[in-house]
Amino acid sequence: MQLFTLPDIVKNSAKLYPNREAFKNSTNTVTFFQLDTKTSQLAKYLIDSGVKKGDRVGIYLNRCLETVIAIYGILKAGAVYVPLDFTAPHTRTKLVLENCEITFLISSPTLKSKVTKLLGHNLSLKCIIGLTHDVPVKTISWEDIFKIDLTEYQPIKILENDLAYIMFTSGSTGEPKGIMHTHKSGLSYAKLSSDLYGLNHEDRVGNHAPINFDISTFGYFSAPLVGASTVLVSDAHTKLPSSLAQLIGNENITIWYSVPLALIQLLNSGMLDKLNMASLRWVLFGGEVFGLKYLKELMKKWPNAKFSNVYGPAEVNQCTYYNFQSLPPNIKSLPLGKVWRNTDFKILNTDDEEAKLGKKGELVIRSGTMMSGYWKNKELTEKSLYRETLDTSIEYVYYRTGDIVYQDENGVLFFVGRDDRQVKIRGYRIDLDEIESVLINHPDVNEAAVMVLNVGNEKEIYAAILLFEDRVITPKELKLFCKKHLAIYAIPDDFEILKDLPRTSSGKIDKKRIIAIKKN
Amino acid sequence: MEQVILKYINEQLLFDNEMEEDLDSDTDLLGSGILDSLGMVQLIAFVEKEFMVKVPPEDMVIENFMNVDSVCAYLLSK
Repeated sequence: MQLFTLPDIVKNSAKLYPNREAFKNSTNTVTFFQLDTKTSQLAKYLIDSGVKKGDRVGIYLNRCLETVIAIYGILKAGAVYVPLDFTAPHTRTKLVLENCEITFLISSPTLKSKVTKLLGHNLSLKCIIGLTHDVPVKTISWEDIFKIDLTEYQPIKILENDLAYIMFTSGSTGEPKGIMHTHKSGLSYAKLSSDLYGLNHEDRVGNHAPINFDISTFGYFSAPLVGASTVLVSDAHTKLPSSLAQLIGNENITIWYSVPLALIQLLNSGMLDKLNMASLRWVLFGGEVFGLKYLKELMKKWPNAKFSNVYGPAEVNQCTYYNFQSLPPNIKSLPLGKVWRNTDFKILNTDDEEAKLGKKGELVIRSGTMMSGYWKNKELTEKSLYRETLDTSIEYVYYRTGDIVYQDENGVLFFVGRDDRQVKIRGYRIDLDEIESVLINHPDVNEAAVMVLNVGNEKEIYAAILLFEDRVITPKELKLFCKKHLAIYAIPDDFEILKDLPRTSSGKIDKKRIIAIKKN
Repeated sequence: MEQVILKYINEQLLFDNEMEEDLDSDTDLLGSGILDSLGMVQLIAFVEKEFMVKVPPEDMVIENFMNVDSVCAYLLSK
């Protein structure tokens, strides 16, 4: 059958491979047939409870089997799934819930104490699915969802251009921004990626990323598209690399995809020599730059695997690839590679004119995988786009990645840096301006300058603080304050309270000088 | 031993606890987001120093670090 929407993935594979294992987590599995049934049961419950097409439904789950049931159940109901970071501070989760007017939340008993605390924040939640606990809203357990009779189930009409999911990432104003993807952009990604890596129904995909991270769409969309099995790595495994190494071996993972950090931790565990991982045929990594030193070591441990450097902001999911099994001897940095199919790009200079071959400029991307915009933020959406009009009636719309690149004579792209204050640390996209705006909101803080320092091989977030006169506050108190308002990964590693901040001639805080002073 | 480890986690790794209940020796440390991977590294470093043991990489597995009870059982087996 021809596929147009994300739920078509499940319906199709349930027909072709009903009894194959679709998803696995620790000891629990679902086949494609079971997945189709369970997601329809959740969809029926949502529809019967009044969830309308286009409504946003939150997913507040750790890494578990219920994540995939939640995603496709919500989509089948015609609703939009909003993956929430369960490790985020409640104030931040509350912002997203309110911004999306979420009244239905999907969770599990594992997170019951977090959910209970979250409910203390005066939310307009009406129903929590997945846990029955003494909370002041309606709840229903997963067991009861899976008892729902489907004889009267009427599937909802969904079109490819309907909104499917909103992923939130940090924004410079301190308010998280929601990247909107349609069924079409999600399915385009699944088709392109499964095609590029020759994914098939015999593959076993290792999914390391949580669902609020765009990398997860490979395991959740691309693998089921071709009938492959996805092994959902548990939270416990992500924290103990030795266990993770055992999992990859025991589960006969054939395709792995994660941030480089997870691979570096595997390497450092020393377990790669002791275990058989011969089944691995592809190792995909993305989200940040993979240092060549570690990468080369890893390639020695897995000589039969092919590697792929995946690049693309969450706004376009993926747009380039650099596939390799060996590296040129004199390589200095890993290329971003070439854009994949159904995708076009330009490199623009500061005047929005196309840069000459080999010259640096901002990468702009046009692709079938592109987002439909930022949730409830037309202004920001427009700012992120580059429009090219031809013959007055034809318009090409590109997404401005904010990444500075150049292109060599073979059309291979190379990453130079970012043109703004967004950085990637430990695989997470962090907006330094967002951290500053949080710090400045503290009543004792007069000014704050946040920057990234290179400490050994690691990148650290460093915050230099100027207090109002006569105020006293410790770095620990500031850290606590940040923890209430920022995602864990965005909390500065180092706070320093300074008597004065160096300035440029125009009176701006001179961050370059602060970094230079800090280095000495 | 149990109390020493619980105290360390409570005071050093959970300085802003967003959980409803208090940490117990059987609370799952890994699954529900109590410790991140950095917290895990800190915890291992702490038990190594405090109880004068060496935790080799092959012992850094879920069975030994799932909760405080399993950490204690592991340490006693050393």
